[in-house]
Amino acid sequence: MNPQDLIGPVSPLGNPAPFWFITFFKVLGFILHMIPMNIWYAGMLLVAIFATFGKNHQLELAHRLSRTMPIIVALGVNLGIVPLLFTQVGYYQFYYPAGILMAQAWFSVIAILIFAYYGVYVYSLSVKKNKSTKFALASAWVSSIAFIFIGFLFTNNFSLMVNVPNWINIFNKTNIAGAVTGTALDLRDPTLIPRWLMMFGLAITTTAVFIAFDASFFKKNATSDEYRKWAGKFAFRLYAVGLIVFAAMGSWYIFGALEKSTLNAVTGQPLGLLLFALTAISPGFVLLVLFGQRKGVRGGAVVTASILQFIVLTLNAISRQWVQNVEIFRYEDVSKLPVDIQWSPMISFLVLFLIGLAVVGWMVAKIAAVEKQAAKA
Amino acid sequence: MHYPWWYVPNLTSPMLIAMIATVHVFVSLYAVGGGIVLAGETSFAYKVNNKSLLDYLRSHTLFFILLTVVFGAITGVGIWWTIALSSPLATESLIHIFVFGWAMEYVFFVLEVISAFIFHYYWGRLDPKTHRLIGWIYAVAAYISLVLITGITAFQLDIGNWTPDKGMWVAFFNPQTFPQIIARTGASLLLASLYIYLHAAFKLKGDHQLRALVENRTSRWAMAGAALVTVGGAWWFINLPDSARAALAGASALNILSILVFASSAVVFFMLYFGPYRNPGWINPGFAILYFLLGIAATGTGEFIREGVRKPYIIYNYVTGNNVVVSDIPKMQSTGYLNGGTWTKAFVKAHYPQVMGADGNIADSKLLQLPPQDQINLGRVLFQYHCNDCHSVNGFSGIVELTRGWSKDMIGTVVTHLDKAHFFMPPWCGTQAEATLLTEYLVSLSPPSPSGMRFSSVNAKSDHTFANQIEGEEVSK
Repeated sequence: MNPQDLIGPVSPLGNPAPFWFITFFKVLGFILHMIPMNIWYAGMLLVAIFATFGKNHQLELAHRLSRTMPIIVALGVNLGIVPLLFTQVGYYQFYYPAGILMAQAWFSVIAILIFAYYGVYVYSLSVKKNKSTKFALASAWVSSIAFIFIGFLFTNNFSLMVNVPNWINIFNKTNIAGAVTGTALDLRDPTLIPRWLMMFGLAITTTAVFIAFDASFFKKNATSDEYRKWAGKFAFRLYAVGLIVFAAMGSWYIFGALEKSTLNAVTGQPLGLLLFALTAISPGFVLLVLFGQRKGVRGGAVVTASILQFIVLTLNAISRQWVQNVEIFRYEDVSKLPVDIQWSPMISFLVLFLIGLAVVGWMVAKIAAVEKQAAKA
Repeated sequence: MHYPWWYVPNLTSPMLIAMIATVHVFVSLYAVGGGIVLAGETSFAYKVNNKSLLDYLRSHTLFFILLTVVFGAITGVGIWWTIALSSPLATESLIHIFVFGWAMEYVFFVLEVISAFIFHYYWGRLDPKTHRLIGWIYAVAAYISLVLITGITAFQLDIGNWTPDKGMWVAFFNPQTFPQIIARTGASLLLASLYIYLHAAFKLKGDHQLRALVENRTSRWAMAGAALVTVGGAWWFINLPDSARAALAGASALNILSILVFASSAVVFFMLYFGPYRNPGWINPGFAILYFLLGIAATGTGEFIREGVRKPYIIYNYVTGNNVVVSDIPKMQSTGYLNGGTWTKAFVKAHYPQVMGADGNIADSKLLQLPPQDQINLGRVLFQYHCNDCHSVNGFSGIVELTRGWSKDMIGTVVTHLDKAHFFMPPWCGTQAEATLLTEYLVSLSPPSPSGMRFSSVNAKSDHTFANQIEGEEVSK
């Protein structure tokens, strides 16, 4: 069977927006989703570990993180809609088959996510009520493991999406009279594990920056100077750990797992090489900034680290998109699919997007004023 | 047809959509109606400076968030998730038509989440005016998301003037959009009220005065909701396409369910009037649970009917229930259904290379030259892709029981005249040879009539009559 045989025809409706627009919002949406997703991905494990084994400031950190975690999960889930939406518009010929071939696992994400999210609430409410129970602790562990497992399933789907030759193996092994059972995963893909763990390393770094940000700006009156000193130091150390995981797994992915032709296609262009280089070294700048505030969080340094971490995530998302395009274009150049631009819906969306941002800005300003007043009091 | 088919034994994969969509709608309607009621009642409580009512509303908001932001939001994403797995071609089409509708809905989702959390977590910390405003931001955002998604689901039932060269707005403003928006607005207010009764019955068990106030005020929203459901439902019925109206009239299950939905709505309305409106304080936990279950039954049944009457389409006149674009059917009938599907063709090419022609397509003439068992096997492939969207083998809508006692001729006639035998089924989308393959497979499954029944001679006669009847219809046209 030829991999090309399994790629479906182009939609007669045409793409409702130019390819660059679809890619831009896919990448932007992924960056915005990655911020909260990274925090629950690594942060919930930190909560579980410190809630079980931690003392003093570690326990305080677990409690602080668990209080904000329900909001972080809600935001992350909603912000995840946009990248998936635009993936379905621009890459439908690849996204749908990959999901269907592993349909059982992909479908289970919904149930696992509901359990994980309620687990977050159980622990969070127990902290709020100051009633730590074994059930609450178990819930924190279940949630953290569930989030990491969901990450594994996502990596499977998005690696299978570009691994068209493996569609044939899976189809041959898991079909019943030509219909698939959906029981597969992309386990034969050498990029699967390093990509999954590379994202976990990145998640640790984002969580580290968030810990510093939280200690600097959220409920300042509820923290002691000692905690803020500890949080600065801990954020730096945690970032270093995350960076090591990210660098090790990233090296494995790029030099040990990624197809040479794909790597050459990206790094063969000066811009691609520069992008890869910046993606690799950019976390180092954040580490340096966090090093500077290791004796206690400082607002200016934390804001700088946060902006730099946003750039780190952006570079990662762009690099990922570039690699994905190279991997997909060898089967179908989806950037050249017919386009039938829906101008007025597109403009309506953009206008509403801006209005939405303004309303969110207004609401955040209102609560920031409340927090500021509380800190003064 | 362009994607692999997900085989879910005994259930069929589209039934997973129904399962998730049903539980989602119970919570998502509450997310909209509850937002409106909470914003309205909080404004009232601030106006009359009723602190105990404000305290109750605050506790209800946490219940509301725990249910809507977690379960409601994730099952909402879950529907989207599942339609991509179970109806990929229809989803691909919907996404291409409505991507910006969904993108706009996303903006409102984000507003909903942020405003809901601020509304709850900053209760008592924001000044009343700002707090009220945040509540209304949530209500408006949630309501617009209802409007947007209803336009999309309404389009599935009736595409109106839309054609593939027309844009999203023509698709959105179809004849079903406004009736369904009104009906769903009503259902959201009604259901939200029933959630509040349920919560208040337990939470305010010892505070009769406050409970009576909550019940009385909530009943106004509920009765307004019931009225909107009636108006929207009637308008929905008037605007139904002929096929949907015929499906409603022709399917006995839908008949019964329609009566059930009207009966339970009427019971709820009268219970609301004589209960919490006229006699606030009557609602004890048991009564609240009963109310709630009736509301759930009415809502679930209404949604089931709304989905059920769409057959044989997923998108009316555009994509059929078995994921075929309507305009592709004539070509498939001439060059073959197996040829028309990306994965069916790849499967045949890999497993039955002897039927492939020199042009790289499946040679229809070679299919019936295959050994009998291979014909049955290919018939099964056809069943998976052409029929399994609605029919399992032995479970839900199982083909084995549906064809029990049918003769081979009868099965063959129905296969080639699916849409004539039942207008709510799509037409046969393959060649005559492929119909024979499917018939062979179905014959291999079809069990005899139950033993002990004494109509065998009459049955043989009716087989003949049935086949002639359908053929006769064809000739007369």
